[in-house]
Amino acid sequence: MGGDNGVGPPPLKRLKLSIPTAKAVPGDSLVTILAPPMAKDMPADDGVTIGSRGQIRKLEFVRIITQALSSLGYKHAATALEEESGVPLQLPVVSDFRREILAGLWDESITTLHKITWLDDETVKLASFLILQQKFLEFLDSGDTSSALKTLRSEISLLGINTHRVHELASFVMCPSREALSERADWRGANPDSRVCLLEQLQNLLPPALMIPENRLEHLVEQALEVQRKSCLFHNSSEHLLSLYTDHRCSRDQIPTRTLQVLEAHENEVWFLQFSHNGRYLASASKDLTAILWEVVEDGLVKLRHILRGHQKAVSFVAWSPDDTMLLTCGNEESVKLWDTSTGECRHTFNKPNSCFTSCAWFPDGNRFVSGGGDKSIYMWDLEGQELESWKGARMPRINDLAITVDGSHMVSICGDKDIRIYNLEEKSERVIEEEKPITSLSVSKDGRYLLVNLVSQEIHLWDIAVSSKLLFKYRGHRQGRYVIRSCFGGSDHAFIVSGSEDSQVYIWHRQNGELLEVLPGHSGTVNSVSWNPVNPHMFASASDDHTIRIWGLTTNIDQKNPNVGAANGIDHLENGGTRELLENLKPFY
Amino acid sequence: MDLDSQEYDKLKVSDSEVRKIVLSYLVHNCFKETAETFIACSGMKRTADCSVDIDKRKPIYNHVLEGNVLKAVELTNLLAVDLLPTNKDVNFELLTLHFVELVRAKDCAGALEFAQKELRDFSEQEHYREKLQDCMALLAYEEPETSPMFSLLSMDHRQSVADALNCAILAHANLPSYTSMERLLQHTTVVRQYLNQELGKDGPPVFTLKAYLKG
Repeated sequence: MGGDNGVGPPPLKRLKLSIPTAKAVPGDSLVTILAPPMAKDMPADDGVTIGSRGQIRKLEFVRIITQALSSLGYKHAATALEEESGVPLQLPVVSDFRREILAGLWDESITTLHKITWLDDETVKLASFLILQQKFLEFLDSGDTSSALKTLRSEISLLGINTHRVHELASFVMCPSREALSERADWRGANPDSRVCLLEQLQNLLPPALMIPENRLEHLVEQALEVQRKSCLFHNSSEHLLSLYTDHRCSRDQIPTRTLQVLEAHENEVWFLQFSHNGRYLASASKDLTAILWEVVEDGLVKLRHILRGHQKAVSFVAWSPDDTMLLTCGNEESVKLWDTSTGECRHTFNKPNSCFTSCAWFPDGNRFVSGGGDKSIYMWDLEGQELESWKGARMPRINDLAITVDGSHMVSICGDKDIRIYNLEEKSERVIEEEKPITSLSVSKDGRYLLVNLVSQEIHLWDIAVSSKLLFKYRGHRQGRYVIRSCFGGSDHAFIVSGSEDSQVYIWHRQNGELLEVLPGHSGTVNSVSWNPVNPHMFASASDDHTIRIWGLTTNIDQKNPNVGAANGIDHLENGGTRELLENLKPFY
Repeated sequence: MDLDSQEYDKLKVSDSEVRKIVLSYLVHNCFKETAETFIACSGMKRTADCSVDIDKRKPIYNHVLEGNVLKAVELTNLLAVDLLPTNKDVNFELLTLHFVELVRAKDCAGALEFAQKELRDFSEQEHYREKLQDCMALLAYEEPETSPMFSLLSMDHRQSVADALNCAILAHANLPSYTSMERLLQHTTVVRQYLNQELGKDGPPVFTLKAYLKG
C-alpha cells in the first residue's frame, strides 16, 4: 500500500464497503457489471469461495489475478480474464479516475471523484485536498506562482479542512528552488513518480474494494514466504530465494554436526579461534605459545599455512583486521603482536609494561585497534605503534573482553565481573548492563545490534543493545564453571547460537526460540571456543583443551571426502562419531 | 488589598521620584507637549534635552501605527543607520508588517514579490520560520480578515510593532528602553507571585493591575 508521505490528511477510519451478498446459488450469474450510472456499481459478491479451507472469496481472487496479469504487462490476458470471468478489475469510473490522476488532469479527476458513489463527504473532501495540493505543488514547481496561489485561495482553502497544511502550503511560495520545495514539502517533485505516489495515497482513502492496492498478489505471496522462512527451525542456507513450489522447510541436516577434520598442530590446549571475515582463513591461539593460521580449501576442509611464534606466554586471543590482511594476537602478557597474514611475519609488537592484555578489537578502518586487560586500562593504538588514546582510572575495572561494533560507533567491554560497558565512541557516553553472575566472554553480532555473553552460571544471555538494553534470551544446557568458555552467532542470518562447554561437547541452540538443537560430542577436553565460518553457513570450528581443533560440516559432506587430503596436519574423520584414532595421539586430559 | 494599609502608610515616597516616573512614561511614549507642560508645571529641572529625541522618535512611531512601514524604516535608518541590521527581530517585525499591509490592500502580487525578495532569508532560519508561516498564511485566503490569522491585520499588532521599534531606538541611544512605571508594575507582580508560591494561603494574593485599580 502507498506509504504516508507526511503530507496526509488526518487518518481516516477505513470505510467499510458493504458489498451486498446475494445467496450463493450455483449457476446464478456471477455479477452485475457495469450497470448504468447511479445504479449499484460494484460487482455483487455471491459468496462463492475457493481454496481447501474455503477462506478465499472467488471474486476477490479473480480480481487480484487480473491485476497481477495487468501489472506484469499481459494486458490481453488481463482483458480476456475480465471477459471470461465477468469480473471487471475495476469500474470504468475508477479507471477514468486513475487515468486522470496520472495524466495530471486535476479538475477532471475531481469531477470524476464526485461521480463515484459509495463515498462519504469527508472522504471526498480529503481526496480533493490531496489532488488540489498536487496541483498547487506542480504549479509552484514550474514557477507559476500566481496560478498556485489562485488554486490555494479559491479551491484549497474553501475545502475548510487541514488548516495547518494550508498555511504550510502558503509558505512554500517562498522556496527559492525546486529542491528546496521538494524538501520542505516532503514531495517528490513534478515527475510521474509523485503522481503514482498520489494515487497510492488516494487508494488508501478509498475503500480497497473500489481500488485494489498495487501489486496485491505479490504482496500476499511475499507474506507467505516470510512466514515460511521464519518458521523454518533449522533454516541455514546461503540461498536467498525461496521457491514457490513447495513450502520451505530446512531439515535438521542443514546444521553441521559431523566432524570433518581434527587438526593436531598445536602442542597444548587451544584456547581461542576465529575465522577471517572472508571465511577463507582460520586463526587459532594456544597455550603452546603459538598462534596458527589455517587456510580453508575446497570441500570445507582446512590446511595449515603459518605458525606464528614469538609470544613468551600462552596466546589467548586473536583478532582479524577488517580486510583480513593482518592479525592481532595477545596472551597473558604485556604485549600485543601484529602479524601479516600472508607472510606470517610479525610486523610489530606493542608493549606496555605492567599490563596484561587479554583481548583486542579493530576499528572498521583497519588502521587502529584497542586492547584491554588486567591493568584496568584500554589503549587505542595505530599500526606504527603509537598509542593514540587511553581510558583508565578507578572507574575502569579489569577488562575481560573487548569488542567494537562493525560501524565503529560503540566499544563494548566486560569490566570487572558482571558489568557490560557499552561506550559510545562518538558521543563519549556509556551505558552499563549489569549481569547477575560473572561473565567470561562476549560476542557481538555482525549488525552490531546483539550481544552474547557467557556467564559462569552456565547460561548464555542474548541482549539487544540497539537503543536501550534488553535481555532477549537465555540459553542453557552446557557446562561452564571455572573456565573461560566462548560462544558465537552462527548460520545464515545468525539463526543459531553455538558454544563450547566444559563437558567437551559443542552446543547449538536455535536463536529465536532458545531450543537446544544439537549437542555434539567428539572432543576429549573442555571446548573453549567456537567460530562459525561467516561465509559458509555449513562450516564451523571448535578449539579444545585436548590440543585439537575440530572442523565441523554437514553429514552429506562425508561421502564425498578424500581420506588423504590434509593428512599431514590432521586426521580426517571418517567414521560416525568415533574418536578412537585421535586419542592415541593426545595426552590424556587428566 | 488584603494587607494592612498601615504598613504602606509608614513608607514615605518622595514626590520628586514620582515625578520622574511620570516623566519617563511621557517621554517614552513621545508625548512631547505633555512632557514639556509637565516639566514646566512641576518645576522639575530639565535633566536632558529629551525633546530632540522625541522629535525624532514620534514620527517613526506614528508611521508604524498608520501602517507606513517603509517610511518608518527610512526615518529609522536616518536616525541610526546600524539599528535595523543589528536588531533582527525588530527588522523582521517591520518587514512582515509591511507584507501584511500589502495583503490588506489586496495587492497580492505585490505582497508575494515583496515576500520573495525581502523575507526569503528569514525563511531559512528556524527562529523565524513559524511566524513567517503565519504571515504567509494570509495569502491562502481570499478574505484574510476572516482567516485564522486575522489578528495580524489588527491595530493591536501594529501597536506592538511600533512599541518594539520604539524600544529598540531608545536602547540604541543608550536610554532606558522601558518605562520605570512599567518596570515597577512588573516587579510588583513577580514579587507577589513568588510570595504566593512560597507562602500559599498565608501570603498575599497574586497581583493584577486591573483588580488593584478597581478596589
